[in-house]
Amino acid sequence: MELLRASSLDEVPGGLPLAGGTEVVPLLREGLLHADVLVDVSGLIPRGIDGSRIGGGATLAELEVDPQVPAVLREACRLAASPQLRNMGSIAGNLLQSTRCWYWRLGYPCRLHGGDRCHARDGEHREHAIFANDFCASAHPSDIAAALVALGATMRTTRRELPVRDLYRLPTEDDRRTTTLEPGELILELDVPPADASTYLKAMDRKRWAFALVGVAAVRRGDETTVVLAGAAPIPWLLAGPLDESTPLPGTAYKVEIARALVERARAAVAG
Amino acid sequence: MPELTVNGGRYVLDAPVGTSLAEALRERIGLTGTKISCNEGHCGACTVLVDGEPTLACITLAHRVEGREVTTIEGLRDHPMVDAFVRADAVQCGFCTPGQIVSAVALVEAHADPTAAEIRHRMSGNLCRCGTYTKIEEAIRTWRG
Amino acid sequence: MARLIRTEKEVEGRREEVWLVVDEDDLEQWPAGPRNVVGRPKTRDDGLARARGQVRFTADLRFPGMLHAAILRSPYPHARAKRVDLDHALAAPGVRGAIGPGDAPELSATCEYEGAPVAAVCADSMREAHAALALVDVEWEELEPLLDADEAVARGKLLEEPRHHERGDFERGLAEADVVVEATYRTQTVLHNSMETHQSICRFEGDVLEVYTSTQYVWGVRREVAKTLGMPADKVRVVCEFMGGGFGSKNSPGEFTYVAAELARRTGRAVRCALTRREEHIAAGNRNATIQRLTVGARSDGTLTALGGEYVNAVGADGWNSMTEGPMLMLYECANVRSTTWGARLNLPPAKAFRAPGFVEGTFGLECLLDELAAKLGLDPLELRRRNHADRDPGGSEAYSGKNLLECYRRAEPHWERRHEVRSRSTATVKRGVGMASQVWFGGGGPPSYAWIRVGSDARATVVTAMQDVGTGTKTTMAMVAAEELGIPAEDVTVAVGDSLRGPYATLSAGSSTTPSIAPAVRAAAADARRQILDMAEQRYGKGVDFDLRELLSLLGNSQILGTGSRGPNPAGMTVLTFGVQVAEVAVDVETGEVTVDRIAAIHDVGRVINPLGASSQIEGGIIQGIGHTLSEQRLLDPGSGGILTTSLDAYKMPTIADVPEIVTDLIDLPDAQLTSLGSKGIGEPPIIPVAAAIANAIRDATGADVRSLPISREEMLRALAEAKEKARGAATSV
Repeated sequence: MELLRASSLDEVPGGLPLAGGTEVVPLLREGLLHADVLVDVSGLIPRGIDGSRIGGGATLAELEVDPQVPAVLREACRLAASPQLRNMGSIAGNLLQSTRCWYWRLGYPCRLHGGDRCHARDGEHREHAIFANDFCASAHPSDIAAALVALGATMRTTRRELPVRDLYRLPTEDDRRTTTLEPGELILELDVPPADASTYLKAMDRKRWAFALVGVAAVRRGDETTVVLAGAAPIPWLLAGPLDESTPLPGTAYKVEIARALVERARAAVAG
Repeated sequence: MPELTVNGGRYVLDAPVGTSLAEALRERIGLTGTKISCNEGHCGACTVLVDGEPTLACITLAHRVEGREVTTIEGLRDHPMVDAFVRADAVQCGFCTPGQIVSAVALVEAHADPTAAEIRHRMSGNLCRCGTYTKIEEAIRTWRG
Repeated sequence: MARLIRTEKEVEGRREEVWLVVDEDDLEQWPAGPRNVVGRPKTRDDGLARARGQVRFTADLRFPGMLHAAILRSPYPHARAKRVDLDHALAAPGVRGAIGPGDAPELSATCEYEGAPVAAVCADSMREAHAALALVDVEWEELEPLLDADEAVARGKLLEEPRHHERGDFERGLAEADVVVEATYRTQTVLHNSMETHQSICRFEGDVLEVYTSTQYVWGVRREVAKTLGMPADKVRVVCEFMGGGFGSKNSPGEFTYVAAELARRTGRAVRCALTRREEHIAAGNRNATIQRLTVGARSDGTLTALGGEYVNAVGADGWNSMTEGPMLMLYECANVRSTTWGARLNLPPAKAFRAPGFVEGTFGLECLLDELAAKLGLDPLELRRRNHADRDPGGSEAYSGKNLLECYRRAEPHWERRHEVRSRSTATVKRGVGMASQVWFGGGGPPSYAWIRVGSDARATVVTAMQDVGTGTKTTMAMVAAEELGIPAEDVTVAVGDSLRGPYATLSAGSSTTPSIAPAVRAAAADARRQILDMAEQRYGKGVDFDLRELLSLLGNSQILGTGSRGPNPAGMTVLTFGVQVAEVAVDVETGEVTVDRIAAIHDVGRVINPLGASSQIEGGIIQGIGHTLSEQRLLDPGSGGILTTSLDAYKMPTIADVPEIVTDLIDLPDAQLTSLGSKGIGEPPIIPVAAAIANAIRDATGADVRSLPISREEMLRALAEAKEKARGAATSV
């Protein structure tokens, strides 16, 4: 395996981009990612926080304590992962993390691996989705993604600008990917418009260092409150209607109950 | 070949790309104080400081640490936190202890008198199966001796 | 004088009759209370070295030319490896050897569980060894797995004959009852997940096999390896000076030891075989799941008239059918008790002893059942326990060697009293309550165990015994006992352990038996040394003359005083047990199902406490493990294939520091007057036993909800809350 360092955005060699590495290194080791060439892009991705602009290379630890960062994003960072992972992981990398679904991680020939079934649906699925779970029942683990989608944040990549929301797509029969990022495309920067009030609530199996069973990001601007869920669907889930419209699996029905309580509390917390 | 700076000393790294910092420390440099327990970034036993920040050495590629300062438990052996852990009996089997102390040192360098909530928040990435947590909290509260 | 005796030896509830050589130990116990050294808090002798990362665990040992071995394991819960072809693996880069089924003990083509070891490869590096595993060509025949414990019982797939106990007349006892409660409790499979994975390094030095291993039983590994490999036991040397946790999973050699030994024999080099964290989740042992169908009958004043239990232990392909029924048989006075325990043989990885095996699970069922009974009777739960206190062993009506459970209950009262104030802080969404549970366990230890002491001209002493300190601080305990007996400061005592070549037999570090087994041997050795010192003094200074110890010993030059000691027999015709009570305070978010444990008071009767600092650490550690078992840990399977799904420490959720409640410890600390020259029992296991029930009972107090299965995850808590709501609604409408 080779490790190359990219010196400019115009000349990024072909290979697997590597920033914090907290996702890529374990996946390489487990054989879920394959690469002969790694490209260290950490020198290229802007860091730092400047008003509403957040560099893609900013770490979760930096965001956790910066007062310029809206509460929902700060709280999402604070409750994400472990202290060490927050020191190491970039916000851009966090958005691109894979599901924790044990079937996917153990290499079962599931839909995300190009296979023809979702093993979680009639298997052990207590950590899995309550929405959009027909084709693939995996849950998206990123607290930060939920916060950014709720904030209506946009991102600038090496190729385009787009709402963070459009980074994600549900996997389909023809295309099993959950992100729209193209090969070689790098996330450079985020623009996070301010909110009147925002909050992030997270239900976990232990008090810290756990992925969301349900994460609720709520952002109010004026009379409009936007709610986005983590841990509820294969991608960050914008809650457009009531939770009654969820389609829980037998083993995820309890998540709907938790979501109900947390959505109500989050709305109340940001209410004008 | 890249050069690592560990505990103030310089080491030429002769290892294939893909070698983790933990492996480099333990196998190439011979500093076995840093432990590998899960080897996938979940337990914190391999915690070292990179430029003062608690970092998981098992998922850090050794080749990417060139030019940065790595501090391991060996570099902290005279830090008062070590005595604090012993005094408080915050050591049982001792396998997680180096990683715990590294995280604890970083915590008190940032907040010299952390609250219980801050201790719990900042130390939650260091697992201990023996259950020394109660005594770890006490050690951090009384680290100055 | 040495005596050959026949006596009963108990470890973790398993009893066997053995022949023993014992030395008489006519030492009198020290009176209760702190002595010069014993009974006073002491930091660990090796604490500094451990904290600095200077001690070497098996994982840290390096030998020149050492190879690394990786094990090929069955990916299926039930399969046969019809053909195993090692050729491609042998040709892979860095590979120096490969073995298949039958080449080493425990490598087999018949796989009764996922993770069953089939073959192994050794190479210059771990990476090369694991890469080569993928090149081992196996033709698998998948077979139908049996995964359901109740089904196994129905089909008679058991590891041994069902275990029946009966005393009195259960049916009649039930008929006498004013109130009967029946309930089914379930506990889950949990994993030890010690921080240092299972591993051994084997190397031959001539015809001597050296085994450096992470183990709880240096001498046991020696004996088993020698027997299995057909070698004289003194041609096997086992070394374990520091190890990173075991909790019961490291009591025997393990397939990794035999793999390393065989590859060391074939290659002539040192071979390390270390399990990965994933292997720890799959095939390194577990506390098996249980199903407990329980019945209790009582008179309206709370006196128990009948206790019955049908226990199904989902043991696995092999393993020990632990004594889940133990608490029901042993904890309370009840004339009519009946239990049956089935050990289901399943295509699941074998269970291994895990900190109070059987009793953690059984206490959850029994103590929750009793609280349900208390609720039905309208009786205070603590009072219910008191009323059914067994003054004599309810099983055989033997006397207890020492029992202070009533004192534990008395000391629990102020913690129990807090429940009014705790409940009053409940809000609409967060309900608070207090629950208690009491426990019984073994912990008397037993012979044989031996120690030597060496005292030199510098007035320092070295205790030598081939025990292992698995993190419990027993090394420091031994130093304190020796120091107390010799009359020298504890700082002047060194303890050398962990090498079967150096030091006599010492028992395993399990079953809460280390201190009560080895410490008396250490005291006897120190007393032997002291007698010799007094002899010296008498010869030098005359009889009865005061002397300065240092001055006397300085005469020794190169000479040494050597003392030896052994553990004498346990008191005959008596029941030796430990007891305790825990009181838990919880807060339950009734909308999200989140359970927070705010406080646990732990009151334990374990005889004389030698090191109160180390003892409090054991209590905290046991409680924290208990919290993991109660709230968040579970090994999950794919229901269809039986495949193990939780294979990493992010999926398998052990407590972090953020999950720890306030822990208040209170040790009765009264020597057991009948037990050895110390009156000390073990404390490793008692503190984990009542945790689950105390928490579940606190939840019932807070919310009225009956939790019946572990872990008390969000879904179990919400289920119990919904059930409680339904019951309340049903009760309301039926008025």
